[in-house]
Amino acid sequence: MKLAKPMIPITALLAMFLLAAGAFASEVSQGKTVAYDEAAKTIQIEEYDTNFSDDHRYGQPTGIVSDYDLAKAKVGIPPAAGDVVRIAYDLDGERKVAIKVMNVSKQDLRKK
Amino acid sequence: MKRFAMTTMVVLAACLLLAPGWAWAAGGGASELVVVADTRIIDNGLMRYVANLYNTDVTLFATWAVVLTAFWGAFLGFLMDFCMKRTGLDLNSRKIVEH
Amino acid sequence: MDTASWLYMYMPIAGVNIFWPGLVLIGFSVGVIGGFFGMGGAWMVTPGLNILGFPMAFAIGTDMAHIAGKSMISTMRHSKFGNVDYKLGLVMLVGTMIGIECGAQIVMYLERLGQIGSVVRWVYVGFLALISWMVFYDYYKAVSKKRAGVVEGEHGTEGITWYKTLHKIRIPPMVHFKHAGFVCSAWLPIFVSFLTGVLAGFLGIGGGLLRMPALVYLIGCPTHIAVGTDLFEVMISGLYGAFTYAIKGRIELVAVFVMLTGAAIGAQIGTVATKYAKGYGIRLAFGIAVVCCMISIVLKQYGFSAPAAVLILSTITLICLYIIKIMFQGAAQELRDKKAGTQAQM
Repeated sequence: MKLAKPMIPITALLAMFLLAAGAFASEVSQGKTVAYDEAAKTIQIEEYDTNFSDDHRYGQPTGIVSDYDLAKAKVGIPPAAGDVVRIAYDLDGERKVAIKVMNVSKQDLRKK
Repeated sequence: MKRFAMTTMVVLAACLLLAPGWAWAAGGGASELVVVADTRIIDNGLMRYVANLYNTDVTLFATWAVVLTAFWGAFLGFLMDFCMKRTGLDLNSRKIVEH
Repeated sequence: MDTASWLYMYMPIAGVNIFWPGLVLIGFSVGVIGGFFGMGGAWMVTPGLNILGFPMAFAIGTDMAHIAGKSMISTMRHSKFGNVDYKLGLVMLVGTMIGIECGAQIVMYLERLGQIGSVVRWVYVGFLALISWMVFYDYYKAVSKKRAGVVEGEHGTEGITWYKTLHKIRIPPMVHFKHAGFVCSAWLPIFVSFLTGVLAGFLGIGGGLLRMPALVYLIGCPTHIAVGTDLFEVMISGLYGAFTYAIKGRIELVAVFVMLTGAAIGAQIGTVATKYAKGYGIRLAFGIAVVCCMISIVLKQYGFSAPAAVLILSTITLICLYIIKIMFQGAAQELRDKKAGTQAQM
């Protein structure tokens, strides 16, 4: 119980953090890389949905093609055309600004 | 016996320090692995919050992870102490049978 | 997998489906076994999580966080650390934290190279071989001494005094640790704790198993102070380890909570059971458990995941049941005696 006193300000501080964090609700999308431009820092993917099955481990193609701005993103293994990637991004108006890019197809092989 | 154990530990630790060097020499140097939590398929609100935090602000995620773990541990500690007192077993004195 | 899909729980960050009863079982068993033998038991968590399907880096990070939580439980339960030489603890903390960070960096580096799984598994095999050898040797020694009728002194017959030599190294700053009662170069505890920290950070263990003998034999700390100081080290370094692995994004919080809850309950059973345990038979069981854990790691390494999971889970289940049996028999006996005592008084 001695710990209770210092815990109050800590909890309050964390509650503030929590409220602040509510502001960055991000989106996630997954799909096949169509084009990756390392110099221009952009990636274009064909989005997949979440109907996973044995034949479509990463979901079914939806046909929607979208572009992401990678200027501020943390990119893992550089995606090649055809790699399935998962992108966490924020919407800045119409623009999709990526936060993190995970190379799903290449990482799967390495993790086992 | 203990001497052997200590020597082995020191050797093991030394190997660990050298391991990356060997691995690098063997042909390495690759990009960091980035993990993105798939928030599209998480329904639970709390889990979604945590996974989302993981994707967006990993420092805050780490702070939460440590604080929540510590809190949960402390809470369980209190709870268990409370429960064990109720069993009526004497936990303070302990007969040491061996040693 | 569809028919038994309720047995699998989705881990949101690692993105894997995990057999959750296995997770509960591992947490619970670590609690029981750790509480009973008085040492972490964390050595089976990392391989166990890996065998259940977690990527190795996640297994290590999750184990680390679970250790931090568990050390909070024990600290809360005893409301104090006992005998701690805080000066020694703080000096060692420097080494331990840097060590853990180095261990974690090695893990991340190996992950980048794609070799993390096999390297950690083989290091674990070596580490567990060492533990089991120590356990079996202790058992053998105890049994043969008992047969010969030798009564061992409190500090053991063979005194290792490496620390006397190590205390002669006079690299400044020299520090006097009042509570522990010795003077040595600050670099000695820093270096020793650095080495144990690296192993702890790399294997995802608390490091008590390594730090305790190191404190006693290499630094020359009295045993009772070593116990308290180690507990202090484990808690602070565990929290730091959890933080650094979380920053690196290699922690699965859901699993930490599931295991922690299991461990809290298990630890009570284990601790109570210590009161009633007799003889050395249980040590032998412990040694066998370590060997089985080792074999299952090898199985996993060669791609036999299912047999590996069955072996490790059944081993820990059996040893848990054994300890639980000891606990229930002993506790029932104690309560019966107590009842008889109060009735006699009336």
